[in-house]
Amino acid sequence: MNVTQHPDTAWLLDYATGALSRNFELVLGAHLMACAHCRTELRAAERLGAALMMAGSAERPQLAPQRVLEAEASPSPWVNARALSAGDTDALDLQTVVSQYLDCGLGALPWRSAGRGLQIARLRSEEEERLWLVKAAPGTVLPRHSHTGSELTLVLKGAFFSGQTIYSAGDIEDANECVDHQPVVTRESECLCLAVTEGPLRFRSWLPRIAQSYLGI
Amino acid sequence: MLTQLMTDAITPPLETAAVVPFPAEATRLAEVEPTVRETELLLKIRDARDRGAFADLFGRFAPKIKGYLQRTGLNAEDAENILQDIMIAVWNKARLFDPLRASARTWIYSLARNRLIDMKRAEQREYAALERYAGETAGDAVYEEDLLARAMGQNSVALLALIPPEQARVLLMAYVEGKSHREIARELNLPIGTVKSRARLAFQRVRGILEKNA
Ligand SMILES: [Zn+2]
Repeated sequence: MNVTQHPDTAWLLDYATGALSRNFELVLGAHLMACAHCRTELRAAERLGAALMMAGSAERPQLAPQRVLEAEASPSPWVNARALSAGDTDALDLQTVVSQYLDCGLGALPWRSAGRGLQIARLRSEEEERLWLVKAAPGTVLPRHSHTGSELTLVLKGAFFSGQTIYSAGDIEDANECVDHQPVVTRESECLCLAVTEGPLRFRSWLPRIAQSYLGI
Repeated sequence: MLTQLMTDAITPPLETAAVVPFPAEATRLAEVEPTVRETELLLKIRDARDRGAFADLFGRFAPKIKGYLQRTGLNAEDAENILQDIMIAVWNKARLFDPLRASARTWIYSLARNRLIDMKRAEQREYAALERYAGETAGDAVYEEDLLARAMGQNSVALLALIPPEQARVLLMAYVEGKSHREIARELNLPIGTVKSRARLAFQRVRGILEKNA
């Protein structure tokens, strides 16, 4: 997979320090599966975390190593949900992403029409954050919008233009309140994206604004 | 001078139970490169279930992990409990360790980080670290040297003193306080783009230094 558009380094630092919410972690984690470049960056960020941990001051533990070894027989009380090393298939298999994170098949998703050629399914809604799957027919022009917070869009299938840049499978468009964009799906194929947004979107025109209250975007 | 500082910053004290800010020259020479030794120990645990190697590794890491946990805002008792989970996981999950992907210390750091994430999410509460240094980060003058020294120990001051203070602050808030770049922007009242570029520049600089010394 030829990934060319990456999230800002700041996102990988957030990933390395554990500062992300589940939704942002999910979208970045799916990109990391497909992107060797960002995996290298992430490992460097984790090495820095490890170096800072080891350079920091120590606290004498009460715990003795023998007690840990004695506890061996009992099952570990904590099962790590995250893979200890992010999978690195260099591929972005949609079914894998969906089944690994979403606990249901694509067909079972709550799709709603959001205008001509455009369907969206809201997967999660937590406080200010929304996690979406967005499906757009070839050539669809999405409504122009800006943001009130961060937005990461991962292309799972197909491609879209935003400004001068083309985003294809595996790429991430990293947008925030400084970005005002109007994605346009390429003519070749349908485009499917996983997107996470923080705060409501801001639309230029009134029509999407009406749909907004209905769709909760 | 800078190289010397860096060596200190990335070389852990041999006696991990004691707080030794700068390891003595002699102990450093007597020791194989610590990161190499740590990885050898973890491989012995992985391949031979070597209890002696585990005790050795425990001595090197447990005090550092506990220090790290307490800096993120956990009290001593919670830190102790989480430390136990982490050390059990090191023993039980050693089979997943792959030295080609990460050094032992990076692997163990990721375990500790993941355990913290799980705890934060399980409890679904803002935890103390978020506000712990808030008052101090708001005032500029005393922040860098003093807070760094208290938060991280002198060795990390040496590491972070090599980059501009406004960049060091962003890295510190990220790695010590566990804040996202969005939270940092909010707290420092800076545009998100400014925080991102500071984080990026700081990371590139420090990463370059670490890799030169690796
Ligand atoms: Zn990438």
